[in-house]
Amino acid sequence: MRHLNASKLNLQSDKSPTLRPRKKETLFIILFLLPALVLFLLFVIYPIFRSIFFSTFDWNGLGPATNNIGLGNYKKIFTDQVFLKSMLNVFIIIILSLGLQLPLALILSVLVGRDLPGRNLFRTMFFLPYVISEVNTAIMWTLLFNANPDRGLLNAVIVLLGFNPIGWLADSKIVLMSVFFVLTWKYFGFHMLLFLTGIQNIPLELEEAARIDGANGFQNFFFIILPLLSRTIRTSVYMSVLGSIQQFTIIWVMTGGGPVNASETMATYMYRYGIVRHQLGYGSAVAIIMFLFCLIFSLLYQRLTRKPDYLTGL
Amino acid sequence: MKRTVISSYSTRKALIRFFQYLVLIIATILIFVPIVILLFGSLKTTGQMYSEPYTIPNPPHWDNIISIITSPTFWNLMKNSIFVTIITTTGAVMISAMVSFVLARLRFRGKNFVFNLFTIGMMFPINVAILPVYLVLIQLDKLGFNLVDSLTGVIMVQIAFQLSGNIMILSSFFTSVPTEIQDSAYIDGCSNFDFFWRIMLPLVKPALAAVASLIIIASWNDLLVPLIVLNSNELWTLPLGTMQFQGQWSQDLALISAFVTLSAIPTVIFYFFAEKQIVSGITAGSVKG
Amino acid sequence: MFKKIFTLISLVLIATFVLTACGPAAEEVTEPPVGEEVEAEEEEVVIEWWHISTKDPALSDWQKMADDFMAMHENVTINITVLENEAFKTKLNTDLQSGSVPDIFQSWGGSGLAEQAEAGLLLDISEYLDADGGAWRNSFAPGALAVFSVDGKNYGVPWDMGMVSCWYNKDLFDQAGIDAPPETWEEFLTDVQLLKDAGITPIALGEKDTWTGMHIWSYLVTRIGGEAAFNAAAYGSGSFADPAFVQAGEELMRLIEMEPFQPGFLGATHDEMQATFGNGEAAILIGGQWSPSVQAANSADGVGVANLGMFNFPAVEGGAGVVTDAMGGGNGFAVGKDAEPEAVEFVKYLTNVENQTIIAASGTGIPVVNGAEAGLTDPNMLLVQQGFAAAEYFQLYYDQILPPVLAGTINDATAKLYAQTATPEEVAQEIANVAAEQ
Repeated sequence: MRHLNASKLNLQSDKSPTLRPRKKETLFIILFLLPALVLFLLFVIYPIFRSIFFSTFDWNGLGPATNNIGLGNYKKIFTDQVFLKSMLNVFIIIILSLGLQLPLALILSVLVGRDLPGRNLFRTMFFLPYVISEVNTAIMWTLLFNANPDRGLLNAVIVLLGFNPIGWLADSKIVLMSVFFVLTWKYFGFHMLLFLTGIQNIPLELEEAARIDGANGFQNFFFIILPLLSRTIRTSVYMSVLGSIQQFTIIWVMTGGGPVNASETMATYMYRYGIVRHQLGYGSAVAIIMFLFCLIFSLLYQRLTRKPDYLTGL
Repeated sequence: MKRTVISSYSTRKALIRFFQYLVLIIATILIFVPIVILLFGSLKTTGQMYSEPYTIPNPPHWDNIISIITSPTFWNLMKNSIFVTIITTTGAVMISAMVSFVLARLRFRGKNFVFNLFTIGMMFPINVAILPVYLVLIQLDKLGFNLVDSLTGVIMVQIAFQLSGNIMILSSFFTSVPTEIQDSAYIDGCSNFDFFWRIMLPLVKPALAAVASLIIIASWNDLLVPLIVLNSNELWTLPLGTMQFQGQWSQDLALISAFVTLSAIPTVIFYFFAEKQIVSGITAGSVKG
Repeated sequence: MFKKIFTLISLVLIATFVLTACGPAAEEVTEPPVGEEVEAEEEEVVIEWWHISTKDPALSDWQKMADDFMAMHENVTINITVLENEAFKTKLNTDLQSGSVPDIFQSWGGSGLAEQAEAGLLLDISEYLDADGGAWRNSFAPGALAVFSVDGKNYGVPWDMGMVSCWYNKDLFDQAGIDAPPETWEEFLTDVQLLKDAGITPIALGEKDTWTGMHIWSYLVTRIGGEAAFNAAAYGSGSFADPAFVQAGEELMRLIEMEPFQPGFLGATHDEMQATFGNGEAAILIGGQWSPSVQAANSADGVGVANLGMFNFPAVEGGAGVVTDAMGGGNGFAVGKDAEPEAVEFVKYLTNVENQTIIAASGTGIPVVNGAEAGLTDPNMLLVQQGFAAAEYFQLYYDQILPPVLAGTINDATAKLYAQTATPEEVAQEIANVAAEQ
């Protein structure tokens, strides 16, 4: 590949056929990467190291950090029942996201398809939840989840159907499901956007040919759309898992991780113990642990899907 | 014989259509409930909002909306938000596209490393990084770059944290452009830059539109970065504007609803147009399946 | 294998230390101290002031006071940043952690102020208070001023002080056949039962915001153990697992087991609790001086409870505390380490009798400066002010007087009582364990 490109490039440069293009290309690569690298190293990579540094202190964040306790914070985190509970909750959210949220987004994307009259309207509407900010999403759903059927629409419907009202956010057995429901409402539009863009890349002729060969909708979906969308799906899964690990705002505003840690996630745990309780060192350690989980997942995922996504051509 | 085949095909098709619409309409209704609550809320008083949130505002209470759109503060917030969002989006899309192109279409040593480096950004979200990020801004500020209490600072941080995810999405689209196109372009004497600018970017326009939509939304709704970076009220962006309705012990939910509704309008309008780009940009023939 | 990982970790750690050799505090040192400051009269002074009064009338009142002060002192410019409570805390903490401090900012005193003072972020303004024979100091109610002092030094001053009490719906009490508000805990529990029997939800609570329930628990501690129990646990040889704290939990459990709260209270916010009470769906609300106005604002008609009454949190029989002891807290301004004398002068101006009277008259706060209470017109605020004035012992809110770690623990631990997932002993022990670590 490089050979091919290099030899092709040679055609345009009349002098020093072996050296010029490579040098030029290196310069080109550096110039194209530079702005991103500068911003990235300054505002993302350096802060990570800074947080690792903070995480080794017993420090309230004010004044100089003096009490270095090495890995003490990490030890404490992994022996804390609440943190283990929050890990479990994150795991549940990941499983539900992959098992319900992504399939839902995929099915709706296929249903909207590309030739349904009025599809533009549907697409726009399905994306609306993603446009509304997380804080406001949480506030609106808190109102809908109100335990009092005179106030909360969901309970009003349930009472109308003849059941007892449900404490959507008050019942520790249900609260995580309620939270997941809102996360699905909010984020399926994002995955739909990815899928729709991917579906758009599938040549129409392929589907038509299959239909002429007698394939029905389901066969079409499983044997043509799904395999050709595999890369988009992989991206979607990856982002969904990382997003679940980091999910914070909606849960914090809706439940504060409660009642009594029932909807605690690692991110709300970090906020509760790091920010609210002024333990910056401890909070940084939680952030680093979340970072490591994401990192480990990424490495495993790359191993599992064999190649990094960008190398897999269609 | 032929006729019956056609008619059964078309009945089947009609049935499928009916089923499609049914599911989509149910989904739409479910999606719309909270949004309708928000719209209703913007026409209620706060007391009605807490006490009877899902009833129709009767009579509609227009004061919320009127008081917001007649206040100069709102328009100033809007102006700042538009400025930040446009620059952030343009910058982030350009920079991510450049990186994605290099990663997807060119070969060089350390490519894997660079790609992995950028994915790291997705693992360290801004809300856990805010203090170190702020420390960097302060240090740069002391070196003479005006980044604290300036929209430039907000834009730089927002771009930095938008790179990872978008590089990931874009490079997967850049990779999907067939190598034949690249080969024939180079045979025709295209330089790398020409190939990137004239051929690649137009080809992945739908992906660019998709990525731009995501960045616009993230930037438009971002509360944390402007909150930490900006001090002067004149520089504030829309999400900070909701603070004027939140007291120490209570919040004016109706006014917040009205404010949120009004401030979401530009993004919805944008998405409505971008969406056409996203789905209509690729002509079936130019990209191999 | 293990060794390899260990080497890797140490390498990363070493790299980190090298990269971050200077901590955040060290950075600030590079700022040269203004050495040869000439005491010129007309030197330009810029005062950064952060407050959280986002709404009128307070918003305009503060602005006007700043404008007036600038008119009187032509060399002074006051930049006001108005932030919402939660956003303010986020922004202030990040700023303080980076070492930069606003000149004047909202504070609730107590441990938060102490943490900032110990980190050297605040200015000791005691000498200003003591100037002219202590004229400024003596203008304050001593109890309120003490909330803003650490080891006898004042780093800020209060401008508002209130307390938590029991607000009740007189009509609902009548409906349940209760003719007088309860004075003791036993009477309180009896009334709760009477309300329940009459089909009325006795108490509104918003336990999603855990501090709403924590107030009831800590009030019970104050009634049972009094000043002595708290001081022993917080500063002395005692502990938060002492009998007073356990007994408070037990008494609270008696209440909780009667199921006196509105359905779904565990997931309800403070705002929803106020709406429940304001709409007449619950008879009692245990909350601060802000409750009358918030319950009205959150009610359907915007008026709230028509016949609103107030009684002190009931006394517990045999307890060391008396019914007039008050639990509460309030607002104040802290002064940042780099503040110029003009900034302190401005704080003094903000808390003079005239301006405190304005704050009182507009209903923004309950004044803490002697003589300004005359401005109070709202009968409910007057009730609180009188309750506050009558208190022999003033217990500052637990989540303000105790360090954030402990405050957070207390909020989260007491929530377990309401969810009935822990016993009073376990809750007290959990708090005591965290306190012991500090």
